[in-house]
Amino acid sequence: MNAAPALIGYTAAVGFAAPYLLLRAAWPHRAPALAAAVWHALAVSFSFGAALSAASLAMPAENLHAGLVGLLHACGLDVGAGQPNPEVAGRLAVGVPAAIGIALMASFAFHVVRARRARSEHREAVDLVGRHSAHLSATVLPYDVPAAYCLPGRGPRIVISDAAVRQLTPEQLGAVLEHEQAHIAGRHHLVLAAVEAFYSVFRWLPLARHAREQTALLLEMIADDRALRSHSHEVLATAMYEMATARTPKGALAAGGHTTLIRLKRVLGPRRTAHPALWASVAAAAAMVPLLPLLVACPPGLG
Amino acid sequence: MRRLGDLEAEIMDRLWTWNRPATVREIVDDINKTRPIAYTTVMTVTNILYGKGWLLRGKHGRAWLYSPVRSREQYAAALMEDGLGESKDRPAALVHFVANMSEEEQAALRKALRNTARQADQAKADS
Repeated sequence: MNAAPALIGYTAAVGFAAPYLLLRAAWPHRAPALAAAVWHALAVSFSFGAALSAASLAMPAENLHAGLVGLLHACGLDVGAGQPNPEVAGRLAVGVPAAIGIALMASFAFHVVRARRARSEHREAVDLVGRHSAHLSATVLPYDVPAAYCLPGRGPRIVISDAAVRQLTPEQLGAVLEHEQAHIAGRHHLVLAAVEAFYSVFRWLPLARHAREQTALLLEMIADDRALRSHSHEVLATAMYEMATARTPKGALAAGGHTTLIRLKRVLGPRRTAHPALWASVAAAAAMVPLLPLLVACPPGLG
Repeated sequence: MRRLGDLEAEIMDRLWTWNRPATVREIVDDINKTRPIAYTTVMTVTNILYGKGWLLRGKHGRAWLYSPVRSREQYAAALMEDGLGESKDRPAALVHFVANMSEEEQAALRKALRNTARQADQAKADS
């Protein structure tokens, strides 16, 4: 019994069909953290699926019993019987999955390190140019447009323009700072680096493209929800509106601009959370999805 | 390290506020009004700032006169634009509050805000 066709079919479904199903679903915007977890689970599942597909293609006669342990066992010890060139097949069966794993790890490390370097340079300059406000727990920069962003990671900073401090009400300012604080506390930069890494390895894959875009939006929604815990919907929405419309777009259509609109409609719309039963089943599915390729590789009862 | 950064900020702050070229001696004298600091310390840190490209210097008689390369506002604008992702190649480095919006999006947004305001009024009237 060869698992390769089933594995390839499964991997293709995760990489090409699953993102469209998830994009069409209504619940992700009601449970953004869960949805972000599902995008990640799909990415992990696809990576496992691709690695196992490569392994089973390289060893068509082997049944990959007992998952990864079986894979290593099969490659290390049992390769040979009836194989035209067992050594090459064995090497490929280990080499290709290993290459996929190493590429993903290296890409993640690269993104984390590069972003950290960019942030620390930026932070150094912000500390020289801006004035730290102990009252706001933020660094204020002289800039005549209301705007705010954060530098997450080690030695985090929230940077806000003095125009924002002047033009926003104290409540609006509080909501904006709370939103940025949520990004820092939630270590959202690592989540972004992970989807960015997946995207740089599987650039052509619909799953990679959508996971990257959707995760960025879902992280904003998570931060919005955090701000809504202590601020009203109107306050957050009007703060977002003030800041989104103050700047004149450079170029024809500002990239990602529509995501602000999606967030605003969500903040203003009726407050809906995902049904607990739906939430629980999706969470269970998200936990299972990364393991599915192993089940496909080794159908119970056949191993 | 932390104290070095603080002194850098103090030096830049004075040069930006005075808005004219100044010698290390002038900076030291001004800092000395609030706390004692060695001339050589300030000179070293001023040299670091010059080396990092934050300051320009020119000889005036026997002393070096230092001035900021750009104004505080110019630096702030560059940092803000960088932080808000208007310059390229800063993935995952900085997370900003909202993205720019096109005219149509702003119109849709105003409509959404008006609708909620109306609903809120309605709810108040009903209760």
